[in-house]
Amino acid sequence: MNISGIAVTTKPEWVEEVARSLSGIDGVEVSQADVASGKLVVIQEAASVGAEVEGFKRIRALPHVIAVDLVQHYFEEDNELIHAIPDELNALEGISVPAELQD
Amino acid sequence: MHLSRREFIKSGIAASTASLVGLPISKLAEAAAAELEKNWQWDKAVCRFCGTGCGILVATQDGRIVATKGDPAAPVNKGLNCIKGYFNGKILYGKDRLTQPLLRMKDGKFDKKGQFTPVTWEQAFDEMERQFRKAYAEKGPSGVAMFGSGQWTIHEGYAMNKLFKAGFRSNNLDPNARNCMASAVTAFYSVFGTDEPAGNYDDIEHTDTMVLWGANMAEMHPILWSRITDRKLGHKDCRIVNLTTFRNMSSDIADLEIIFKPNTDLAIQNYIAREIIARNAVNKAFVDKHCVFATGPYDIGYGMRPTDKYAFAAEKDTQAKELKVKLDKYEAIGQRRQAGEVVEQKNTADPAKHWMISFDDFKKGVDPYTLDFVAELAKGDPDESPDSFKAKLKQLADLYIDPNRKVVSFWTMGFNQHQRGTWVNEQCYMNHLLLGKQSMPGNGAFSLTGQPSACGTAREVGTFSHRLPADRLIPNPTHRAETEKYWNIPAKTINPKIGSFYAKILRDLEDGSVKWAWVQVNNPWHTHPNANHWIKAAREQDNFIVVSEAYPGISAKVADLILPSAMIFEKWGGYGNAERRTQQWRQQVPPPGQARADIWQTMEFAKRFKIKEFWGEQKLPGLKLEGYQDNTLPSVLTEAQAMGYSPEDSLYKALFATPTNLKVKWPDAVAKGHDNHVVKLLGDGWFPEKALWQEYQQFGKGKGKDLADFDVYHQDNVRGLRWPVVNGKETLWRFNEQYDPNVTKGAGIEFYGKLFKAVPTGNLDGITDPTPKSLAGKAKIFFRPYAAPAEQPDDNYNLWLSTGRVLEHWHSGTMTRRVPELHRAVPAAVMWMHPADAGARGLKRNDLVWVESRRGKVKVRVETGGRNTMTKGMVFVPFFDEGVFINRVTLDTTCPISKESDYKKCAVKVYKA
Repeated sequence: MNISGIAVTTKPEWVEEVARSLSGIDGVEVSQADVASGKLVVIQEAASVGAEVEGFKRIRALPHVIAVDLVQHYFEEDNELIHAIPDELNALEGISVPAELQD
Repeated sequence: MHLSRREFIKSGIAASTASLVGLPISKLAEAAAAELEKNWQWDKAVCRFCGTGCGILVATQDGRIVATKGDPAAPVNKGLNCIKGYFNGKILYGKDRLTQPLLRMKDGKFDKKGQFTPVTWEQAFDEMERQFRKAYAEKGPSGVAMFGSGQWTIHEGYAMNKLFKAGFRSNNLDPNARNCMASAVTAFYSVFGTDEPAGNYDDIEHTDTMVLWGANMAEMHPILWSRITDRKLGHKDCRIVNLTTFRNMSSDIADLEIIFKPNTDLAIQNYIAREIIARNAVNKAFVDKHCVFATGPYDIGYGMRPTDKYAFAAEKDTQAKELKVKLDKYEAIGQRRQAGEVVEQKNTADPAKHWMISFDDFKKGVDPYTLDFVAELAKGDPDESPDSFKAKLKQLADLYIDPNRKVVSFWTMGFNQHQRGTWVNEQCYMNHLLLGKQSMPGNGAFSLTGQPSACGTAREVGTFSHRLPADRLIPNPTHRAETEKYWNIPAKTINPKIGSFYAKILRDLEDGSVKWAWVQVNNPWHTHPNANHWIKAAREQDNFIVVSEAYPGISAKVADLILPSAMIFEKWGGYGNAERRTQQWRQQVPPPGQARADIWQTMEFAKRFKIKEFWGEQKLPGLKLEGYQDNTLPSVLTEAQAMGYSPEDSLYKALFATPTNLKVKWPDAVAKGHDNHVVKLLGDGWFPEKALWQEYQQFGKGKGKDLADFDVYHQDNVRGLRWPVVNGKETLWRFNEQYDPNVTKGAGIEFYGKLFKAVPTGNLDGITDPTPKSLAGKAKIFFRPYAAPAEQPDDNYNLWLSTGRVLEHWHSGTMTRRVPELHRAVPAAVMWMHPADAGARGLKRNDLVWVESRRGKVKVRVETGGRNTMTKGMVFVPFFDEGVFINRVTLDTTCPISKESDYKKCAVKVYKA
């Protein structure tokens, strides 16, 4: 079980619309939305870290979203192993081997 | 109200998140948050990934990490994390984590062509030792090498630096940071005489103008980008400029986007300087008091091998530019010469030499860089009108010059990974210094870093082939002597000859001059350009390669021996970020299986050697220096014995478990119940991370590089400190009397760095008076001309290729509509291309193509949309992607001064696969 708390920033005039688009994403709940500050508190649940990252990217890609910041990431009772190392990790540590090098 | 466990956890996390962004939370949610965390042990730590240096909190329960969060008390990120934050707790638990040593074996013994076979640590070290002795006996100190890292903890880097330079007497130790920020370092040295930025991240909240030079901060430094967007949204006069070779996400909130051709940032900066002078905007008081003008030779090559002996047939024409360059029209104008002139590259051996010039000469240097000239040269988008581009350049100059504006310039790889990386860094300081907008809150040129401890470890500890701790340099006899004193080793132990830089170590493996190499915390065979050469060198040459790794990367795959390493929270450590902030953490969980910390591996290996094997006379081909016999390092054994060493002492005893260090005992109250697996494995009761920290601390004391005591960094109320830390106080803006205790009282601003502060005098064409003259306390404003890239698109290889770290699936229409998968599929890497370029080649989106250069080719799918809007004539392929090994294609030119590779420009062709 991967659950994360995410802070989303938009301009005040777009808070409602961004909240609507966020609610349309699978596994995403808008917990709070504050028009004055343009901040939204979003909870995302996903089956794996990979899926969680995809969700994060979808949020980042929504119209009018200015910034997406991860606040807390929780994975208690989680025995999942990362089966495919996501690119974000690979990008930092280069931990995978291209098939052409396997020989 | 009844909450399911899942709902309960969600309310708790929502409460933490809301409270962090300053929104009210309900009592129920607050209670949920408290209940959720009641069995967790939280401790502060640092993010594993980029150079921003975000503080995180790590929660452990029963020896496992259960949660991580942004640290609300951390000034860098104020409780936020970027997408990489997800991995801090997860990276430890990958399925293919390496947990035992693996050696290539056949018939029960080591064989270079054998299969990886699990062995014990003892067997692993036995073979590693045998191979080391063989290489050292044949080649001496220059026959062994170390690939180090900007991801090493400070302590790890310090230990290996000492083992190589004091123990093995080899300077062939260089970090991957060479390919990340070496150009920034050489410019800090040449301009200020001391490494690392004057300012800090608080500049963001103090400034009203931020200029991004080839730095896509929206994706690469998201937390700093959050601070920038907050500043932009909360301050209506704030302006952001994004200078880039293609449109990226940072353009989204930019007020001005300037798309320029590769390498023409050199010309754009000279245009700004020319405007500053033309508009009479030079801050004369500042410049007269604090600066001198300088320049250096232009004919410095491109950092390639001087011979084509090892070049593939197709790359020989590019390699030939190392020796001779035919000037194109723009270089000719920018360098005041004739187009078509063939210039022999005479200064490849000493590209960094420079001399003072007059202001009039400087003015003459930048004079050709008129708006018309620079616009014609630099306009990157063929579809943009010249007038529109000119208006933008003018607007950029206006923003810099406006006396009522504060300006911060940010850059990372766009400047650093550049065939003239040092020059383009120096030019950025040129404009800030001309305007007097430097070393003040909200005003300054700010070099960012890509790795978590490029500053803290690679630069400050000096884990480079030419450096020693705290701004000391190998060729400087005083610096060597000081280092020998702190290390308590005999005079002349340290090899006075600069070792091989990162690219050179790979070349040395290719031509057989290095026979044994060790890699820690980096992945040279994946990340270094022109990779086909290096893979062949590793697999087909007679050499032995050891890779310490947590996961099986390409380098591990090409290695002969793999050592399983402990990861970040499985050991004690410390990192230094881009704003000079040093942060340390405790071991949180034990490493899995047989995995062990790199610092243990280093010290355990040192136990196998005696000082008499290295401190006796050693052959050193190429050494010619006063006070030394040619080609020979002297024996220092007699002096060592006089100092109380026995020739039989192990390197471990002489360098690490010294009498002083053994007094630093474990257990220590600073641990607060946390374990230390290195202490247990060593078994002699000392606390190596703390002891080595104390030893290292001496190097910076009173040198403008002061660090605090070990325990201070571990105090609950400390979230890292920005050095120099003097009398317990950190320094926010260096060189500024108001903030920096190292500045002479009454000086106001003083550029007190000590390196390269006495240089000859001359004019734009060369030195006229070789006598070095002092410029103590001052910075240099360099004139550096435009230089064309070594390889440019032609009729055959007709596109630019740029590479970088952009996340390829960030924003494509299909992705945003995709249902999350249970296990993430490995995504196909893509090559971004302008739709018109694709159309011209009969290609469409998603077509599989070959991208081919003179050096190699890879298969990749075409992407014509997405968040990176390519400029016509340029393609972009992310270079760290697992599916597409683009470094088979890239060019290994470097900035000749910094020796940092240029990943941003080479010529390729693209055709249907």
